Amino acid sequence: MLLAKLALGFCGTVAVAGAYTFHEGIMRVEDDHFDGRHVHVWVPAAIVPMALHVVPNRRLERALEHAGPWLPALRELTKELKRYPEADFVEVQDGRQHVRIRTHQGKLLIDAIEPDETVHVACPLVMLEDIARELEARAPAA
Amino acid sequence: MNFPASRLTEKMALTLAASLVVAVALLAPVAAAQASPASGSSQNASASSHDRWLHVRITNPGKNEETVRVNLPLELAEKVLPTINKNRLHSGKVSFDDIDCHGVDLRALVDAVRTSKDGEFVTVQSKDSDVRVAKQNGYLFVHVFEKNRPKHSQVEVKVPMKVVDALFSAGKDELDLVAALHALSFQGDTELVSVKDEENTVRVWIDSKNVTD
Repeated sequence: MLLAKLALGFCGTVAVAGAYTFHEGIMRVEDDHFDGRHVHVWVPAAIVPMALHVVPNRRLERALEHAGPWLPALRELTKELKRYPEADFVEVQDGRQHVRIRTHQGKLLIDAIEPDETVHVACPLVMLEDIARELEARAPAA
Repeated sequence: MNFPASRLTEKMALTLAASLVVAVALLAPVAAAQASPASGSSQNASASSHDRWLHVRITNPGKNEETVRVNLPLELAEKVLPTINKNRLHSGKVSFDDIDCHGVDLRALVDAVRTSKDGEFVTVQSKDSDVRVAKQNGYLFVHVFEKNRPKHSQVEVKVPMKVVDALFSAGKDELDLVAALHALSFQGDTELVSVKDEENTVRVWIDSKNVTD
């Protein structure tokens, strides 16, 4: 009976933790080289802003020194993009190179296709907004 | 012996139900976001009906190799531009105080155009090119036609005067981009720029659609 209770408690916890972890969707990065190398990263979107907390301050501050002036724009952009869940923003076709930036089902999708490399990035807009807010909060005051 | 078993079953059911309730509560926003393209498209449709989009399309009709399509919601640009403070751009305004305009007082020129009646301001017809600058029905038209190329080149610019007014509404030596975008968003579907030359075709226009044709 104790084991059953433990199992139930564990299952319940896993269900709740799983639900929370994936409630913002998944960030997906796929980089395929035509020489056979593949990098595929799937990360629960809710984890990414949390992961910023464990980045050493020193490293983050150095990065934020350069990105600082653009953070308000990034925050506003991610906030506004949520109003356009299904839209094509940029598409560039140049010979065999193709770049496309769009939103689909509340995700920002960036596709870059070149003859020797293909990159697909999908980020939930909610996650991008969280990251922008988090970065702005940690940026050194101007 | 039946009592503990039924109690265990009851507890199992309760725990499972509680877990499901919490999971459903947490997953509901995802389900709503992911399983409803219809709601997404309805949001999109409502955004389309209210929002104005600036479109840029560059094509290379001869080779059909290069195509650039940009679709930008004017409201998004209005919100984001004021947050960029870099180089000449500050608070949605761009300064041009030290730009060399070959001695031309740009502001005085615009004031003169704004206050004058409808009509043609510049008409040049030569063997190489035709140039026409005119104001008509609240629009400023610029038309350039070059004849001395293998294929004729043609540039048509049509800018609503209200947009020009808004653009120059900031202080001296400044262009108010946000005000211009705001004024543009109240215009009907309009073709703003059209360039056709031997290599490329460029179109800039505004409408309520979030995609190019």
